[in-house]
Amino acid sequence: MEQKAAAPAIARKTLIGQRIKKPDAPDKASGKTRYINDMALPQMLHGKVLFAGRPHARIVRLDTSAAEKLPGVHAVLTGKDAVGLNFGFVRDNVPLKSIVRCEHDEIAAVAAESEDIARQALKLIEVEYEDLPGIFAPEDGARADAPLLRDNFPGNKSLHFAFKHGDVAAAEAASDFIVDSVFRPHHVTHCCMGTSCAIADFDDNGKLTIWTQSQYPYNYKMDLAPALGIQPGDIRVIQPPVGGAFGSKLDVYPYEPIAALLAKKTGRPVKVMYSREEEFKASPTRQPAVIHMRTGCKRDGALTFRSADVLLDNGAYTSWGPTIPVIMMRTTSGHYRVPVVDFKAQAIYTNNPYAGSFRGYGNVQTTWATAQQMDMLADMVDLDPLEFHIKNAQKSGEYTPQKSFLRECALAECLEAAGKASDYSRKRKEYAALRETPGRYKKGIGLASSIHNAGGAKIHKSDGIGTILKVDDYARVTVISGASEIGQGIDAVITLIVAEELGVPLEHVTLVNNDSDIAPWDVGVHASRTTFIAGNGTRRAAQKAKAQILQSAEKFLGEAAETLELRGGHVVRDACGTPLIKLDRLLRQMHFQDEPELVMVTDYYEPKSEPEGASHISDHSAAYSHAVHVAEITVDTLTGEIEVDRITVAQDVGRVINRMGLEGQIEGGIAIGLGYALSENMQLERGLLKNPSFRDYKLITAPEMPPLDMHFIESDCAEGPYGAKGISELPTIVIAPAIANALYNATGVRLFDPPLAPEKVARAIADLRQSRP
Amino acid sequence: MQEITTYLAPRSLNEAAQAMAAGDVTVFCGGTDLAPQTESGARQHSACLMNIRRIEGLGGIEEKDGDIRIGALTTVSEIRRHPLIARVAPILAEAAEHFASDQIRNVASIGGNICNASPAGDMINPLLVLDAAVELASWADGAVQKRSVPLENFFTSPRRTVKRAEELLTTVVFRKPAADFVGRFRKSGPRPALEISTVSVGVGGNFSAGVLRNARVAFGSVAPTPLRARHVEVVLEGRRLDADVIGAALVAARDDARPIDDVRASAWYRSHLVEVFLEEALHHVRGN
Repeated sequence: MEQKAAAPAIARKTLIGQRIKKPDAPDKASGKTRYINDMALPQMLHGKVLFAGRPHARIVRLDTSAAEKLPGVHAVLTGKDAVGLNFGFVRDNVPLKSIVRCEHDEIAAVAAESEDIARQALKLIEVEYEDLPGIFAPEDGARADAPLLRDNFPGNKSLHFAFKHGDVAAAEAASDFIVDSVFRPHHVTHCCMGTSCAIADFDDNGKLTIWTQSQYPYNYKMDLAPALGIQPGDIRVIQPPVGGAFGSKLDVYPYEPIAALLAKKTGRPVKVMYSREEEFKASPTRQPAVIHMRTGCKRDGALTFRSADVLLDNGAYTSWGPTIPVIMMRTTSGHYRVPVVDFKAQAIYTNNPYAGSFRGYGNVQTTWATAQQMDMLADMVDLDPLEFHIKNAQKSGEYTPQKSFLRECALAECLEAAGKASDYSRKRKEYAALRETPGRYKKGIGLASSIHNAGGAKIHKSDGIGTILKVDDYARVTVISGASEIGQGIDAVITLIVAEELGVPLEHVTLVNNDSDIAPWDVGVHASRTTFIAGNGTRRAAQKAKAQILQSAEKFLGEAAETLELRGGHVVRDACGTPLIKLDRLLRQMHFQDEPELVMVTDYYEPKSEPEGASHISDHSAAYSHAVHVAEITVDTLTGEIEVDRITVAQDVGRVINRMGLEGQIEGGIAIGLGYALSENMQLERGLLKNPSFRDYKLITAPEMPPLDMHFIESDCAEGPYGAKGISELPTIVIAPAIANALYNATGVRLFDPPLAPEKVARAIADLRQSRP
Repeated sequence: MQEITTYLAPRSLNEAAQAMAAGDVTVFCGGTDLAPQTESGARQHSACLMNIRRIEGLGGIEEKDGDIRIGALTTVSEIRRHPLIARVAPILAEAAEHFASDQIRNVASIGGNICNASPAGDMINPLLVLDAAVELASWADGAVQKRSVPLENFFTSPRRTVKRAEELLTTVVFRKPAADFVGRFRKSGPRPALEISTVSVGVGGNFSAGVLRNARVAFGSVAPTPLRARHVEVVLEGRRLDADVIGAALVAARDDARPIDDVRASAWYRSHLVEVFLEEALHHVRGN
């Protein structure tokens, strides 16, 4: 072998836990990224949708003849063209409607040469409606005398869920303290920067290619096919860069089959893209709920039971929203050590917009309730909430009543870290003592925590992922992964893991993950699962490639594979780091030998978890994690404005993989959670959205983001890649009740209906002051 | 949507006034209100769009014969940073400080903010406190004709003013406040930036020896137009600004503020905020 005599040793160093730039960050920052919204195909037509604009009505007359005659119009479709094309979780939706059940119901769709022509054509469509009485609250829909919105769903009931463990009556009787409250989590929406958009194109063999923002490309085929009357296998899903998803693209929504139906009709590619107003009205929401929760404890602070009776506003159609009880019950039963549990949830059809999945998926709503009741109980027992929480915190090795196995549980460590870093106990006492003293501005501190699945969630038959990895003659690595990138940073994680395992520079790794004809199966971006699942898949594939490479190195170098390692683009002696051969050179030798070999490996990873099941008693995730937030706020008791001064975060992340990505996910998650807590609110009046713009729908913006003090607790998850757990939903879940608890600490006001908007807070403080002598 | 068939970018006021006399023209300056309103369909373009940003002499801030004159094209950013404004009318800079975002402040013009005639217009409130007037130009008898309208009389209803279609707002004028003038602007909204005022309150006057003279108080977003709070002014005028007078002013505010419930706030909250901000502003004045 050709050897340089004194090649310097290459030291062992790890990328795990380092700060890695997202590969697409420079293009996104400079504006170069071509999002799906920017895309145009040759011969492409523009689709526009006519929305009903009323919550419940019969269509008396629909005349599209004038629109069809407008020059430049290629197709006009109505409900007649979508009969039988039922899709959705309970098949209660169709792409175009013959009866109006909510404001954004799609009545007709037009494909035209330009958006302007399509818009003009919509104006030429004549529709006469006969308005029907609507249902706008689940309580109203559940009444015996309520009008029936659907013949095949008696009592307007769509989905229901229940879980029971132990004797609640006995546990209640044995409780010294019980809190009993009704929480009303509200309608908010995802507000993706990129509005909903799909481009559909059929080839002459009847195969559909759809460019979509979907975050679950494989089951998407299965869900989209019935809306078109074609086979899932005849759909190719391409995922261009998207401007956010946050769970909103975890289902099929009518604009997607509408684009495809228009494409089928015209034989041309058709793009449907929402305006911001359409996005507000027609994209999914977070699931609103009415949660009647009771929690009890003994005089010493030990929890005795928790019950939750949940009514969900299903909206007009059933998407992922009303399935959130699957997670709500995990939190109801598993947020601290709860010996006795009674959970039930019922979704009721209304004429409101309907909910999809949204980062935090049911846990945002449940933790809003459980974390406030923990605070209230601590007050009743007269214990410092931190102490009360630690007393009830589960430990490693415990099971929850639903049999979630907490193999590595760092809840107590998270509580201690956040409590110490924020000086929680001292400040809480001090602020509570100042509550009744004069002064316009009051400080408050609030603590909240939650539990969430951190190793996927087996709600489908498979929670796995396929990975294909190849290393070419130049030592460039391509990973073909089922894992979708929707901004969450799996591109950086996959790159980092490959570089870690194969000792190649980060920029020598390419990820191909946006074409269902190329990349293998994955269940989708949800349940905080991608780093965990795709991380494991990538690592396993890289290790297979590495084993193959080192086997060949053994043959060429005459040194045992176990003593070799890949580092700095070389094969080195593991012990001393001496480089023996450049990796690309070795790869070419492997390729061009008598028995040529290429490095291309496949892997299928299925996490060790159990299917959710009808009984909901299963270890449905391969890991669980906790996070604790402490929020410090200043309340203007006259205007009701809450300024968040500081948030301390302690989260069990298992192991830090990409530190920059982790920080970004926590910051972004908290921004969404703060909006939920403080300002975001879809103002619905009898099913009509009154604030469909960023002017009147208040997102948290950069100046309002408080300083964050983050503490990463590394519990070293046995099943996770390098010990990592999924992290991305907990930040959104935990912050809102921490703010609510801080508001109580500051003012004595307790609010169960988010958001804690200034007017609501001001009124509550004014009422509280008036009620006092 | 009306198609724009003519685009004009006159260099002189003469040209602009003649164009406006000739037919229906949509005036464009910063576009921060016009663009979203036409985009949403709340407002229609005329066939002729006229960009007035190149008209010479329509921008800038100057002091002339004891008047402060602000050209219609002056951006909110310019007002925010202008040394003369900082010296003689800091209340105007204060309002500019809380106006939308940097991007919008850099193009939004003072003339546009006034002509948009929103009850929530942030620059209008302090100008009412400064007792400003607006100058309107039109073309008649072969020349530019001008008239002056007190800002208080300019607004008739939401988005409606006394300005005629052929008139162009050219200048905002107010007397340079005396050395003992004290002003204070306060607006509210759940966010520090990019916020349309839930309510705004402006207070100003000549304050010496504990007494407020020429008291002027303006409210935004509590009625169909921005308004002068005349009942409050009567209570304050020439009185020693003590706790009793401030209390009486807060009671009088209920006669001036006639808010409604809308998507941004309830009438209760608006009335409540008016009292909170008025009290705050009056205490600020007293502290000076």
